[in-house]
Amino acid sequence: MKNGIKSLGIENGTPSNDLKRRDFLKLSGLAGAGLIISIGLLDSRNAKAAAAKGIFEPSAYLKIGSDGKIIIMSKNPEIGQGVKTSMPQIIAEELEVDWKQIEVVQAPLNNSLGDQFAGGSTAIKENFTELRKAGAAAKEMLIEAASRKWKVPLNECYASEGFVFRKNTNDKFSYAELAEAASKLNVRENPKLKEKKDYKLIGKAIGGVDNSKIVTGNMEFGIDARPKGMVVASIERCPVFGGKAKNIDDTEALKIPGVEKVIQLDPTQNPTRMVAGVAVIAKNTWTAMKGRKALKIEWDYQGGEIESDLNLKTQLEKNINSKGELLRNDGNVEEAFAKSTKVIEAVYEAPFLAHAPMEPMNYIADVRSDGVDVWGPTQVPGSVRQLATIITGLAGDKIKVMMTRVGGGFGRRLMADYAYEAIYLSKTIGKPVQVVWTREDDMQHDFYRPAGMFKMKGALDENNKLTAWQINASTTSRYDFRGSSDPSYSTEVFPDGFPAGFVPNFRMEYLPAKSKVPRGAWRAPGHNITAWLDQSFLDEMANLAGKDPVAFRLELLGEEDKEMPYSDHGGPVYSTRRLKNVITLAAEKANWNQPATKGTYRGFAAHFMFGAYIAEVVTISMRSTQTIKIEKVVAVCDCGIVINLSGAMNQLEGGIIDGLSSATNGAIHIESGRVKEGNFDDYKMMRMKDAPEIEVHLVDSDESPEGLGEMSLPPVSAALCNAIFRATGKRIRKLPINSEQEKLQVF
Amino acid sequence: MPTFSLIINTETHQVDVSPDTPLLWVLRDELHLKGTKFGCGIGQCGACTVHLNGIAVRSCSLPVASAAKGKITTIEGLSKDGSHALQKAWIELDVPQCGYCQVGQLMSASALLIRKPHPTDVEIDAAMSGNLCRCGTYSRIRKAIKLAASKNG
Repeated sequence: MKNGIKSLGIENGTPSNDLKRRDFLKLSGLAGAGLIISIGLLDSRNAKAAAAKGIFEPSAYLKIGSDGKIIIMSKNPEIGQGVKTSMPQIIAEELEVDWKQIEVVQAPLNNSLGDQFAGGSTAIKENFTELRKAGAAAKEMLIEAASRKWKVPLNECYASEGFVFRKNTNDKFSYAELAEAASKLNVRENPKLKEKKDYKLIGKAIGGVDNSKIVTGNMEFGIDARPKGMVVASIERCPVFGGKAKNIDDTEALKIPGVEKVIQLDPTQNPTRMVAGVAVIAKNTWTAMKGRKALKIEWDYQGGEIESDLNLKTQLEKNINSKGELLRNDGNVEEAFAKSTKVIEAVYEAPFLAHAPMEPMNYIADVRSDGVDVWGPTQVPGSVRQLATIITGLAGDKIKVMMTRVGGGFGRRLMADYAYEAIYLSKTIGKPVQVVWTREDDMQHDFYRPAGMFKMKGALDENNKLTAWQINASTTSRYDFRGSSDPSYSTEVFPDGFPAGFVPNFRMEYLPAKSKVPRGAWRAPGHNITAWLDQSFLDEMANLAGKDPVAFRLELLGEEDKEMPYSDHGGPVYSTRRLKNVITLAAEKANWNQPATKGTYRGFAAHFMFGAYIAEVVTISMRSTQTIKIEKVVAVCDCGIVINLSGAMNQLEGGIIDGLSSATNGAIHIESGRVKEGNFDDYKMMRMKDAPEIEVHLVDSDESPEGLGEMSLPPVSAALCNAIFRATGKRIRKLPINSEQEKLQVF
Repeated sequence: MPTFSLIINTETHQVDVSPDTPLLWVLRDELHLKGTKFGCGIGQCGACTVHLNGIAVRSCSLPVASAAKGKITTIEGLSKDGSHALQKAWIELDVPQCGYCQVGQLMSASALLIRKPHPTDVEIDAAMSGNLCRCGTYSRIRKAIKLAASKNG
């Protein structure tokens, strides 16, 4: 267990925990009378923080002004996962304020806030206690301030809706009236936290704090920032991974009015080894794009052009049929396979995927001799600062990172490559530069979801119970790509994932495949494939056993409730009680035990990841013998305590759409060392007309809360493929479903 | 550079740009109307949707020269204060996740409601399927359009 860092995809050293090891809360003076509480680190967490290098300890600001303003600083990047609403919601709960009294402000990157990032669905789970303590500590100090003013004991005072009241009287002070006095008090280190039954805000549906700005077009995303004197860069990158420019002719580009400069990005000549490219810098975006088209570049592909889907497939096939690194070996699979008369062997295959967030990659840097200002969409503002230091030589405190709302992340913006380009170019030309990628740039220079192939072999015993399970996996490991010291299989396969531990003979082997194609974290890393193949293959075994897929899973999990060891992010254990519960509930909500409506077919899948439990039923209908419509998805999720009901449902619905979209049509193809797809016309994503009805149920739980940005995605592809098997007898073992080989059209 | 006269949100603007410049970049870079978003550049995602004479068009693929004679409405002109029924419905149903595509969604939806004050599901699908939402907020968008339509009387 590495505290989940493996799944976070943090790279390029998002600032290691150079956090000030302050006491839990530190009170600092504020310009003008008022109270600022910055939450530092919990002592109990320091050890963990040190162990978990690269993972970030939580902190936040709460500002109550004498002017009546209550400002909660939102510290993490908002990428659509809803933290700008849900994290302040937790503080406000304990602070005892009406939500309408709160103003949420996005914090810039700020040392005193600790580390700030978005990844691994960790914000809520990692910050829940600290945020509550921040709210509660402030509330207790405000109560103390009131008790001193009234000269009455603390227990005669209580807080509610932004006021401190004196019991059995009509006396009250607003928080604004108490702010100055409270700011002079010692910080409450261990404030009393509310019980779940007393929650007024946590668990309620709260609309996104930026919604008004979003619907009026007034929301500033990274691409909208406009520092004075800004120029725009459009960069032509080597289309083949690993290549470099041999000859650049910029004559025509420089003739275009408005084009100012052409600058080569040579990986060997710059400190961050950016992808080789040529930047055209112009007075505005369109001119930069036009100038770029006028470039004539001869590339040296450095041998990268030989890579293709075909030779990757050859490599993967060889790997799954070779002896791999042994990751798990329970019992003796060979013996079990030899003894069994009911054995299935099947090969599953999953492609590279692009992230394709709606806001294209872009970043702005203003590098001056005395400091750097940067704006833009990123999941890792700390990485940006660190890279700015490397490029400019300026200390971190001279680098101001403005965090704008982010138009989607999905793991793509854990990589800050485009920010480095902006910083490098601004430093080179001495002006503020905005780098804007086109959609084609994004599609062809992503850090893709690793592709992989998996040989599955399963056996039943004489009682039709699952007795053996073997997986020989090979993927283009993302940890290998980044040159990490972590093992290649990290976040590619999960040796403790279900059904491991429930099959007496279980073997897992892994071999990485070599590739120059950049790989990165893609929503629910690893799980986005493993849930599909495990839950599909379980369905194959259930079918072989002649058992109902839900009953087969429940039988496998057993009647006794267990805590299963789980060494990955979301561990150290998972609960079979909670897993069985979501399975049972999903079956119930989807009327699984009743026959499906005539003409419809259902598939089931369930999964544990990142601490949350989810089960899903997909219902499809046959529109013709080869045309399938996805009609409905029912999902039941146990994520512990739900913070924002509306946000939670939104995340789960969105993950389901993303999972169906990628399962049906998602694929990045490599030919001659480059990506074939270029835009949304050939990288198809689900649209409204194909979006099924989605019904989400959240388990009422007292367990600690888990994030929800990723969980609903992984099992839905399996539930869909299992439904397709029911409908057609055809087992989908290669994604995407709508490929040339398959005769099916699923929408 | 030629000068183009554009009527945007009932105001007339003069811009000096090359005639092939897409309306999107005129709005964003010249007039600083940044609510309209860049998503794909080829009219595939709808993030850049504006109205031209009340009809939804993809401004990323519309050269400024072609837009010069029409009446253009951008999100900034949909309502003065966020009071359009769709904007209110979007907030009421908490539609956005990342929010980047939502301006385009709103412009497509508002063009639909001009033509069809009470659209059917099929009509909503047809009008809205040119707009991608990578976060998958489709079911809420659909509900919000219906909610707004229900207030059309």
